[in-house]
Parts: sequence; C-alpha cells; structure tokens
Amino acid sequence: MSAAGRGASDAPGAGVTSGELMAVELARQLRDDDVAVMGTASALPQVACRLAKETHAPDLWFVAGGTCGVNPHLAPAVASCCDEDLLRADTAVPLSDVVLLEGRGDVFTVFFSGGLQIDAHGNCNLVCVGDWGRPSLRGPGTVGLPFLARVGRVLIYTMSHNPRTFVERVDFLGGPGFLDGPASWEAAGLPGGGPAAVVTPLCTMGFDPQTLRMRLETVHRGVTVEQVVDATGFELVVPAAVPVTPDPTEEELTMVRRIDSGGLLKGH
Amino acid sequence: MSKVLSLHDAVERHVPDGVGLLAVGGMHLQNNPMALVREAVRQQRRIRRLLTSPCGALNADLLIAAGLVDEIATSYVGFEHLGLAPAFRRAVESGSLRVLECDEAYITHGLGAGAGGLPFAALPVGLEVSDVCRANPESYRLVEDPFTGTQVLAGAPLRPDVALVHASEADVAGNAVLGGAHFLDRVMALAARTVVLQVERVVPTEQISRHPVGTTIPGFLVHAVVEIPGGCHPTASHGHYRTDEEHLRRYLSLAASADGAQAYVDDYVRGTTEAEYLRAQHPAEARHAREELR
Repeated sequence: MSAAGRGASDAPGAGVTSGELMAVELARQLRDDDVAVMGTASALPQVACRLAKETHAPDLWFVAGGTCGVNPHLAPAVASCCDEDLLRADTAVPLSDVVLLEGRGDVFTVFFSGGLQIDAHGNCNLVCVGDWGRPSLRGPGTVGLPFLARVGRVLIYTMSHNPRTFVERVDFLGGPGFLDGPASWEAAGLPGGGPAAVVTPLCTMGFDPQTLRMRLETVHRGVTVEQVVDATGFELVVPAAVPVTPDPTEEELTMVRRIDSGGLLKGH
Repeated sequence: MSKVLSLHDAVERHVPDGVGLLAVGGMHLQNNPMALVREAVRQQRRIRRLLTSPCGALNADLLIAAGLVDEIATSYVGFEHLGLAPAFRRAVESGSLRVLECDEAYITHGLGAGAGGLPFAALPVGLEVSDVCRANPESYRLVEDPFTGTQVLAGAPLRPDVALVHASEADVAGNAVLGGAHFLDRVMALAARTVVLQVERVVPTEQISRHPVGTTIPGFLVHAVVEIPGGCHPTASHGHYRTDEEHLRRYLSLAASADGAQAYVDDYVRGTTEAEYLRAQHPAEARHAREELR
C-alpha cells in the first residue's frame, strides 16, 4: 500500500527511536560476505554491523576505522571511532594498513559515508558550504571519503534529513557518488559500485537505475511521502507505491539495545 | 645518553619559532600530545604549516585559537560527535588560515613517502575524482604512470620538520610503546626530522626490552622524551584515561566566539603552568577514577 495514498502511516511502535530504526535498516543492507569499514562518529554503523553479524550475516567482518579494531565487541557502542573500547575486538590492524587496503579495492566491500551535504546522485561533502576558497560554513574535511570511488557499495546515513543537507549538487565533491549522473559515471570508469542506499530518520532511499538519482524506497512508520519530499532539497524520484519501512522485530530491537547499552542511539 | 627533558626545554630546543612543517599526533579526541601543544602556545611558537594525522581536534584547534598557525594541511579538524572545530572554522571562514586540503590516503602515503625518501606517493586510481586534488594543486598532481601511460594522482612527500607525538611509555633512549591504537603516530615518527615524545611514564630499558616487537617507535628516531602523566588531557590517553568530554564541551562553548577562545587560551594555557593546569583540570584522583571505570 502506498503511504502517500493514506497519509500518515500508523504511529511508531514500542518507542523505537530513529537511531535504533536506522541501525536496523543499515544492518539489513549488509551481507554475510561483506567486509565493511567505517570512520568518524560511527556509532550507528557499528551497531548495524554488530547486529547483522549476530543475525543474518555471521561471517561479516567490520573495521572501526581510527582504532581499526576488527569486529569490535561493543556493548556498549561508542561515539568516537578512536575510542579505546573499540580495541575490545577480535583483532586490530594499524590505520596505515587499513588505508593501504582501502586502496587495494578488493578487500572492503562496504564503506559507510555521510556528509554536511549529500546530493541527488549520492555525492557526499564534509568540507564546506559555499565556495571552497571562502566558505559560508567550513566543515571538518574529507577524511577518507575520496575512497568511495573504489568501494563495492557505499551506504550513506545521516541524522539530518532537511533541504540544507539534501542538495541538488554538493558544493565540494569529497566523497564521489554517481557524480553528475549516468554519462559522467560511465566516463569516469571508477572501480567502485557507487552508493547503494541512503538511510535517514525519515526514510530509506536507493537510486533509480536509469537516472542514478536518489529514489525513495520506504518511509519510516509515522512519516509521509510528502514530508520526505519537503525535507529533500532536490527532486526525489518517488515511485507509485512507497511501502512503510518494516518495523524492527522484537528480537532486533532487544539486540540493538544490548549492543547500544550506553544508549547512544536513544537520543535520536 | 638520556633524552628526557623538561616540557619547557623540549619545546625550547626542538620546536623552533617559525617551524616550517609541524606534525601533531593523536587522532580525533584521543592521544593528542596536549602538554607539548600547550607549551608551544606558552612559548609562542609560530607555525608556518601545521599537519594533522588524518583527523585533528584540539591539538590543531588550540594552536589556531592562539593565532599561531599560518597554514594547515589536514583531512579533518573537528570534535567528532561533539561538534565542529570553532577556531578552525572561524579562521577559514574569515580567510585568515590557508588550508591545504588533504585526504586520508594522501596524508598516510605522503608520510610514507617522506619516511622512505620516495620522490612522491602514487595514489590509488579513483581518488582523482574528488575535488580535493583540485583544491590543493601544491600537494597533488596528475602524472603519467610510467608503466601504463595512464594519468594517475601523485602526492608530494610529507617530511615534517618536527612531530609532536604521544606514547604510553618510553625509556630514556626514546624507545616507545604506543599504549593502544597506532593511528598515524608511528608513520609520523618515521617521516619527521625531529620527534618529540610526550609519555605517561618513563620506564627502565629492561622493561621496554622485554617486548621489543611491541615497542613500535625506536629510540634512534626520537630526539626528546617528556614525562607528563595526564598530558593528553582533555583528550584520552589509550591505556590510561578517557576523554574529558565535559572540559571539551567547555572549550567548544568558550571558543564559539573569538573573545571566548582568547579567554580559554589565556586562562587555561598562557596564564598557567602545565603542572598547575593538570592539578586543576586533571588531578591524579580523577585520572585514577577514570582508569577504574575501565
């Protein structure tokens, strides 16, 4: 059933926070044969990877960039990617080795990304708003986002779904998505597969295979298609039918709350 | 010969005023060599170019707040989940700080090139798509790959004049153990002409040599060792204490204005000795309490 057709969907269940639902949604994107890597401020993907590993993807590997703990045990998840607690892990590798392997390209299959700006083709920008030489807002920098060009699947997440974040074109291309669309994407011949999904507090999006523009896939319970369209600063591809994002199961929710025992995702 | 120096003497002797390229170790809110950074502020060391590990935080923002940095080569300055870097933001938005935009791969491999004497670092295909290389033509160039004839991205070698690095412990000869994650601290130490180490404690060589493979910075690269227990405060020191988020939030709220940033620098750095700062902000009891939390 189309959420657009019936207005607001049912009330959210069992006090699930956006952060908890997003962790479950990101986990659903992960596969058993993935090797995932994440960076700065990555509590959400940490929880998603741990959840996936304890449910449908037991053979998943994930590396918390910064400390580079491999399969960190979490419970609790931590806010900083460099927190020493991420070394409570199966093993750890030096950051310089992770950077080497990010370049190798056939090791990491999933890279989590985000941005101050995320555009219609999934390009990400953490550098600046406005002209780079004299920005109206200077962000932190690109960190490892240029590597998005080499990774199998990029999973984008943000807690900010608004027209300032979701823009037609990023002011600074830090993390490449599908560039300017099919022609430029094809011409670039990049080794990576491009962005695969975008998860926000309102919805989960993918990409239209023809135009490589962001396409609404599901809206989270309690959110309308109109709300998502209004919160998006570019023309979103909206299919005729937009289902509601499946609710987390009781089991998923219990696991998320155990992994996030410090409640980092509670406030969102 | 012992390389152990007082904080004052280590900075006075090894961090020249007007230093060409100063690298600060640590990453995000962990293992920032803050005692050395604060002392560089007290001694008013002008820095022509500052280099962060891929991710700088207070180590860079405090030097910028103190007005000491002309240019910064970085791939990130921020406070991760706590927010943006206020002094960095203000300086870049007002045009008073020049940024050499870098990415993590270039900083890592550029330091590797610096360490190995390589003429440049060849970077993985695909990185040329990002705007980073166009924003920073001084550090990045497209060159012909001599083996395939294709255009590839090259990065200039990074050879810090001085690296300020934190380690958990070292002996008097400078053989050092990193207490937790390596971040890029080891690579920085390999590439820099001068390495000044800040450590939680100096330990006997017999203790260090029980674990030679775990002693990842050899003393022959190190020029000075400064023993400052608690010296990473308010950032964490792996193996010793956690990030003091309350203090960092106070910094962020003060440094949100130029006057507030100046007040922080005056009150917490210039107007106080390191011993006084640590006694007031990071007393041993608090450190131990944090260790017990582990």
